[in-house]
Amino acid sequence: MSNGENTNSEKSEVLQGTLDLMVLKVLDALGPLHGYGIARRIEQVSKQVLQLNEGTVYTSLLRLQQQGWIASNWGTSENNRKAKFYSITKSGRKQLARETENWERIAGVIGRLLRLEGQE
Amino acid sequence: MIHYLRVMAARFRGLLGDQRADRELDDEIKMHLCMLTERYVRQGMTEAEAARAARRQFGNLTLLQEASREMRGIRSIEILFQDLRYGVRMLRKEPGFTLVAVMTLALGIGANSAIFSVVNAVLLRPLPYTSPEQLVQVWEHYRPQNNPRKSVAPANYLDWRAQNRVFERIAAIDPFPSFNLTGPEGPDRIQAARTSADFFPLFGATPTLGRYFLSDEEQPGRNRVAVVSHGLWQRRYGSDPQLIGQSVSLNGQSFIVVGVLPPDFRFPRGEFDLAIPLALGGWEAAARGTHPLHVYARLKAGVTLRQAQEEMGAIARRLEEQYPKTNTGKAITIVPLHEQLTDQIRLALKVLLGAVGFVLLIACANVANLLLARSLARQKEFSVRLALGAGRGRLIRQLLTESVLLAGMGGIAGLLLALWSRQILVTLLTGANLIPRWIEIDIDGRVLVFTLMTTLVTGLVFGLAPALTAIKADLNEALKEGGRKATSGKRDQRLRHALVVSEIALAMVLLVGAGLMIQSFWRLLKVDPGFQTENVLTVDLSLPTARYPEGHQVSHFYDRLLRRIGSLPGVRSAGGAAYLPFSGTRNSWSFDIEGQPPLPPDRAETEWRPITAGYFRTMGIPLSRGRDFTEQDIDGSPEVVIINEAMARLYWPGEDPLGRRLKLHDERKKVWHTVVGVVKDVRHLGPTIEPKPEMYFPYSQLIYPWYPMTVVIRTQSDPLQLAPAVRQAVLELDKEQPVYNIRTMEELLAKSVAPNRLHLVLFGTLAAVALILAASGLYGVMNYWVTRRTQEIGIRMALGAQRSEVLRLVVGEGMGVTLVGVGLGLVGAYAVTRLMTSLLFGVSVTDPATFAAIALLLAAVALGACYLPARRATKVDPLLALRHE
Repeated sequence: MSNGENTNSEKSEVLQGTLDLMVLKVLDALGPLHGYGIARRIEQVSKQVLQLNEGTVYTSLLRLQQQGWIASNWGTSENNRKAKFYSITKSGRKQLARETENWERIAGVIGRLLRLEGQE
Repeated sequence: MIHYLRVMAARFRGLLGDQRADRELDDEIKMHLCMLTERYVRQGMTEAEAARAARRQFGNLTLLQEASREMRGIRSIEILFQDLRYGVRMLRKEPGFTLVAVMTLALGIGANSAIFSVVNAVLLRPLPYTSPEQLVQVWEHYRPQNNPRKSVAPANYLDWRAQNRVFERIAAIDPFPSFNLTGPEGPDRIQAARTSADFFPLFGATPTLGRYFLSDEEQPGRNRVAVVSHGLWQRRYGSDPQLIGQSVSLNGQSFIVVGVLPPDFRFPRGEFDLAIPLALGGWEAAARGTHPLHVYARLKAGVTLRQAQEEMGAIARRLEEQYPKTNTGKAITIVPLHEQLTDQIRLALKVLLGAVGFVLLIACANVANLLLARSLARQKEFSVRLALGAGRGRLIRQLLTESVLLAGMGGIAGLLLALWSRQILVTLLTGANLIPRWIEIDIDGRVLVFTLMTTLVTGLVFGLAPALTAIKADLNEALKEGGRKATSGKRDQRLRHALVVSEIALAMVLLVGAGLMIQSFWRLLKVDPGFQTENVLTVDLSLPTARYPEGHQVSHFYDRLLRRIGSLPGVRSAGGAAYLPFSGTRNSWSFDIEGQPPLPPDRAETEWRPITAGYFRTMGIPLSRGRDFTEQDIDGSPEVVIINEAMARLYWPGEDPLGRRLKLHDERKKVWHTVVGVVKDVRHLGPTIEPKPEMYFPYSQLIYPWYPMTVVIRTQSDPLQLAPAVRQAVLELDKEQPVYNIRTMEELLAKSVAPNRLHLVLFGTLAAVALILAASGLYGVMNYWVTRRTQEIGIRMALGAQRSEVLRLVVGEGMGVTLVGVGLGLVGAYAVTRLMTSLLFGVSVTDPATFAAIALLLAAVALGACYLPARRATKVDPLLALRHE
């Protein structure tokens, strides 16, 4: 089969479904951003831990936009290019809160599980 | 839900602004890539390195574009058209493959559509009556003779009608009377029936003209009214609206026409041109020993079948107590009308539906094998496309689109096949009298939807295996390998063999079924009906009461007629009977035996046949003891009766029945008849039904000899040639007397085995198709096997293998597959043929001879299918094969 061809295999793949949450959080924290900016921000925060195909950011943006959680409009980027800026909507913030709580709950459970020691 | 709607709306918008959205995404991506490149350049890469790195960082561009379009909705339609276009191109590139696949599928789908069109018309479509689900037929259930559907005695019907509270209406029809209709329009022979006043309203039919019968017209004396069918009204009276109120002459009596039936009215059984009221009076109103009536009823709203059954059961028990002599052992059966009318064919249709399902599966396996071979050949194409970034799902989708496209073409061809076979089916079905003549078998919306669904499912079923196999291909390997490998595809081969094994097994099951039907039909034709069917002409006559009011006049007419016919050149002998074997008519009476207590209920009634002297001789029914009727056995001379051997065995076991006397329960003529002869048994009800006890009475000694009569004539050569002379003989005696139903006894025989013939033809055809498909499947697989192994065979031959050894290698491989299939098929057949039990006659469903013969047949055909590729293998040139490498 064709796996095992990546050289930097110590990086983790982005967990399925978590990218949307990251994008929402970035937009919530930093205000309107274009796709490139979002990718940079995720890269910065993940400190090279995550292996991100930046193209997938756009799939995520499209998905979020269809759900009505983010909105977009055209503007000019810092280096004077035409760029599409995305911003989080009110229902997006609600969704973010829900998802964050959800994530923390699951992360907590998994964390506790992984710390589990054998008991007599 | 609202959420879902919003997503849909977004997709819909996407659908409209598709191109703009595409451009916008492109712009975004371009900007993103530019900025990434700039960043890498800043980090010290060259322009080209930076661009490559940016691409890598960004990921699969094509996949992103496709994903985004797919998310926006329109993409799926676009993909569909793209795949269809591509599919059509692929199919046109290989016309041979396409033709074989489409024809195979057409057979499979067409057979299913054709049989489903019958199922649809017969079992699924509601009957053409108002609220047909409430309609039932009510029968007497005669427990002692284990006959749950016996037609009804008039007095019982009257009691049921008076006492029940579960039926909205309960109506009766006496289909027997047939009439000579005379008038200024000329004489006409028509089928008529007596119906109760409720009969037509029961079915919810509104008259085209006039009205139906009133309830007081059921009184004898007031019943001189008639309702005519729409057909007769058009045909004979030129659709004259003035017909209402006019009088017509039936059998010499005048009846006033009060109504015309609507054009679409269908009698549930039989076809009638005219109805008169069923006026039950006098002896008939009290008759419980004779059973002329068919009774139909409509359940009251909210009353279930079970409740009706319970109440009618209680009524039957009361009647048993009240009339022990006639009603002991008589319960009541209520059958939903739809079930009643389609009973005979229900099982056959289910079995056939299973059979066409098998044929379709075989066709699927065949086409799957073809596709499998093709997809292995296309391996390289798939690998390249995967390498260029196509998603695996996307490839599967494209392959499935191709399969469904193929299935669609097969479906269209199959539909044409179904349309073409429709007429044949209709002829076979109505000829076999298995369904009411008026049921219309056509390709309606439901059949179209069924065909569409079958086609789609078929396409997915036969397309899935090849599609999955294709994309499982190892990308790197396939690209590295220049061509095919001699050793590759072990798994594919197993799949292909499994498909062929299942084809052979399925074909085996169908062939065994067909084999059993052939066996049973053959045995059916060998059954001795108890009389000789060759060279017998039969002609129906009915003398009208008005012109022949007295019994002796009728006897006189027939005496003279038979003598006249007997003296015609080419005639050996002539006779007459009221109920002819194989004609579907019969009657039974209850009776007493002299010196014995009343007969127990299981023997109280026996089949009853009025005949003339000369009947036994003409039919070739041998006399085993005593004497035949003579022309001296007439009204006034001592009353006599002849019984058959079955009756002698049942009523006088181990005794001599000659000289014993019996008396019919007929209030009008209470006389003792002396048994003067015993004849051999006749299978009156058809070749599959065991002879029943029968008693024959001289026509001229009965109280009302104006029964319609069938004259039978044994001829020296082709009986139909005598028909004009017979008609002439009748007209010479009475120039107003029509004859009708001129048939030969062999026609009647053929008609009585028509259902079996129908099963045989349909099942045999399907089994033959299955055999051809399975054989061609095996041939295809073996052929492919040889192609794949050309090199191996070449090497073997180069190393000194003989042709015979090569032949054995290939044939051995093919027969191995065949034997597994035959083995599985035998097991399968053993398991399912029991469902056919009641469709067979005289042969066990697990008949070892049939199983063995079919296994041999299949093996022989398989041998042929393997031999051709094997011979090709022996012609392999070792040098060429090796150079192939």
